[in-house]
Amino acid sequence: TAGNNILQLGPCRVSMSMAEIRSGFNSIKANIQARDPIKSLSILSYPHSLHKVKPSERCCITHHLCSFYVAKVFRHCRTEDSYVNRKISSIANSFLSLRRNLQHCHEQNKCMCGQESTEKLKQITVNYEGLNVTSAAIKSLGELGILLDWME
Amino acid sequence: SGELYCSLPNPRNVHFESVNMKNVLRWLPPEGTGAGVFYRVKYSVYGVGKWIRKPECKYINRTWCDLSSETSDYEEQYYASVKAFLNGMCSDWIETTRFNPLTDTTIDPPMVSVSSTEKSISIILTAPEKWKRSPEEESVSLLQVYPGLQYNVSVLNKKTKKRWFFSISNTTMVVPWLEPGTAYCVSAQIRVTTPLLHSQFSKEYCISTLKDKTA
Repeated sequence: TAGNNILQLGPCRVSMSMAEIRSGFNSIKANIQARDPIKSLSILSYPHSLHKVKPSERCCITHHLCSFYVAKVFRHCRTEDSYVNRKISSIANSFLSLRRNLQHCHEQNKCMCGQESTEKLKQITVNYEGLNVTSAAIKSLGELGILLDWME
Repeated sequence: SGELYCSLPNPRNVHFESVNMKNVLRWLPPEGTGAGVFYRVKYSVYGVGKWIRKPECKYINRTWCDLSSETSDYEEQYYASVKAFLNGMCSDWIETTRFNPLTDTTIDPPMVSVSSTEKSISIILTAPEKWKRSPEEESVSLLQVYPGLQYNVSVLNKKTKKRWFFSISNTTMVVPWLEPGTAYCVSAQIRVTTPLLHSQFSKEYCISTLKDKTA
């Protein structure tokens, strides 16, 4: 589809509407980040940046973070602003289709998880559960740029 | 104890202005204040709790502070903050929004060099370099920062006013089948698809194709 990127994650190759997700996120980024007053904690980057993850573990992390955002972030980010809500659901839809594509890779054993990614995903869950659900979800959504930068 | 009473109006429009990842914090003076206002600046890395003072921007009277060095890791995101002082009074610390050097910078147009033969023009494009601390430091092209970087090239026939547009990924290009002895003007723009970034078009570089020797 026009505007789709091909993400090559080791043996797993999936297409993703990165430009559409980026543009959606850019249009709500300031609004969402302004709702997150906690500057001293990052869900995705504490204690280590995603950029420290080995290339061989990228598919597993992408797959599980995609599921994390679908299951624990987008649904807890309803705001009083219908424009923001529409953009969030559009991003969520893009993540749903990406998760489906990644699930196929997983089922074909092309998206294996090693110890490093398991630990990183556990840390992200700990960071998330260290806040109340709404704050954690809003913070995670505000960090979507970190995930997109890393995925590219 | 010289305790400062913070009732001074706040600095306004505190924001990062970034070009090729030269990241400068800028702001406007507090409303209704003239000369004599001084400022302090601090910054923090998102996800790390510490605010760090910028010594070179301690009690300055200008309304900008270069934080390029402190924000050069574009895998991180940042906040910065400014406080104003006047006649023993001070303002609150006023913060920027979260700054992401990778997506929030402005990219300069590419450098364009052109040469010609009788019936063609050769164009060489060079992406700008990322800001660096000193001339001795190794240069990093923005092409390395944004692997998906592309160029939009415009070629104008000055005689017929006909214009072509090309979108290319590599840095050299030859435009064939042109008219001999004719002036052409070339301009180029950088475009990054994700994250969504594009430069202005460069100024026009004009050159004439050589005259047809057989004519």
